[in-house]
Amino acid sequence: MNGLHDTQRRFASFVLRDRGQVQAQAQTVVGIKANGLEPEQRMAIYRNNTRLGLTEALRDGYPVVNRLVGAEFFNYLAKSYIQPYPPKSGCLLSFGEQFAEFIADFQPAEGLPYLPDTAKLEWLWHEAFHEGHETELDISALATIDPNLYDELGFTLHPSARFLASDYPVLRIWQLNQADTLGDERINLDEGGCRLLIFRPNLEVEIIPLNDSEYLFLTLLESKLSLTQAVEQVYLKNAIFDLPASLQHWVANGLLTNFYFI
Amino acid sequence: MAYVQQPFSAGATVPVSAGIGLRSPHYEDVLETRPDVGWFEVHSENYFGKGGAPLTYLERIREDYPVSLHGVGMSLGSVDVLDVQHLGKLKGLIKRVEPGLVSEHLSWSSFDGNYLNDLAPLPYTLETLLHLVDRLAQVQNYLGRQILVENPSSYLEYEYSTYQECEFLNELSRRSGCGILLDVNNVFVSCHNHGWNAFEYLQGIPAERVGEIHLAGHTLNRVSGQAILIDTHNRPVCGEVWELYQTALQHLGAKPTLIEWDTDIPSLQTLVAEAHQADSFMEVSYERAA
Repeated sequence: MNGLHDTQRRFASFVLRDRGQVQAQAQTVVGIKANGLEPEQRMAIYRNNTRLGLTEALRDGYPVVNRLVGAEFFNYLAKSYIQPYPPKSGCLLSFGEQFAEFIADFQPAEGLPYLPDTAKLEWLWHEAFHEGHETELDISALATIDPNLYDELGFTLHPSARFLASDYPVLRIWQLNQADTLGDERINLDEGGCRLLIFRPNLEVEIIPLNDSEYLFLTLLESKLSLTQAVEQVYLKNAIFDLPASLQHWVANGLLTNFYFI
Repeated sequence: MAYVQQPFSAGATVPVSAGIGLRSPHYEDVLETRPDVGWFEVHSENYFGKGGAPLTYLERIREDYPVSLHGVGMSLGSVDVLDVQHLGKLKGLIKRVEPGLVSEHLSWSSFDGNYLNDLAPLPYTLETLLHLVDRLAQVQNYLGRQILVENPSSYLEYEYSTYQECEFLNELSRRSGCGILLDVNNVFVSCHNHGWNAFEYLQGIPAERVGEIHLAGHTLNRVSGQAILIDTHNRPVCGEVWELYQTALQHLGAKPTLIEWDTDIPSLQTLVAEAHQADSFMEVSYERAA
């Protein structure tokens, strides 16, 4: 009953559940010295610290969502999220990964349809921020490739590259809700969606809006299609696409870091 | 590209002087101003990513300063199996930055794979002692080095504990070969919260096993009228903790001492000034000993 396993099971159960659920379970608080307080009050200090710590960790990763909904609603959102999705590791870098999907199903946030994609953008930014480094591809190496091999030529993207397509102007929402943004410029949700590349060429994460052709082209390369296959699909959708210029651009800015033969 | 380790110009050994916690808002400032502090400590888990700004800045700063890795998420005392992925990342980070010290906490923070992101208290029993000795053997073998274990701040005691905390830490260090990271603020906070005697606590700690001291600020909360101190790391070290630090120095001798400040982070100069305060107390302790 008072072994280490039982102690930790009871403690975790008290700390990770909310008050109502805990009261339903008797026996959660046993073997704790009162020493002037109710044992429950002592346990509640830990529950409060845990909740506060995890809420702030989530807020650190989602500053724009926090700004959009306000700190108080964010606290409620965080509290609701932590119960089904507590951290699964002692390193918090992966904590908050399901936040966008959670918000999409969270009824009290229904009135803000752009919120899930905004959260998704913040998560992709966070992933890109911590990804590995890669050196740039020497563009002259491309010139040595026999054009007959283009059918089998594929490209590796920088490990930090992430893509997001949204029906909402989430890049403008993100930009206007940075901590150092002043003014009260309004965003009209009818201005339409966006297609974004999130990528960290060096130390700073960049969010780059793409047109439909570029978005399609790069996501196809990322899904391991050959250059020829990717270009064919792009031309099927949109005749206006300058392949040499595009390749040169994405090699020069470090997005395409290597090539391979399929 | 494969990562190629370059030798750092600063040695690995953490000197017997004051260091400060390295936090991201200060990266640029540290590189530009090269503050006069002996070393820096970081939270290991913040550098478990694959690359980017955190690791780049840490390596640049490591060029010129010794570094200590302080873990907050290993969940050393948990009954869950040790997270080998976590240990693997820590080992990789150790290889990358060559720290002078590596530390963790006398606590647990996960159950059934769910993590609290908080340092939960352990019952101080023989069962816990044997469990921790086993865990430390696994950790120290895997990392190929000694680690320091830090006394926590706590807000409750278990009725079934059979050791006092300092006694437990002492015994754990003796049996596992781990060193002790003595957090003087945590001694102050826990002693206040449980009515322990802080001087007796310090006397119970064997000087030769202490590899590092921590100092930090705490906050007073009232629960049903009773004053409970919470370890918040959000303000300067208070006068009473500085006094206890001086007592600790008399008993332990000078030790590498860290100023920890994690939330409402002040300017770098404020942290450096706190570190200089600790250095000046260490000077006095040398003079007394001479």
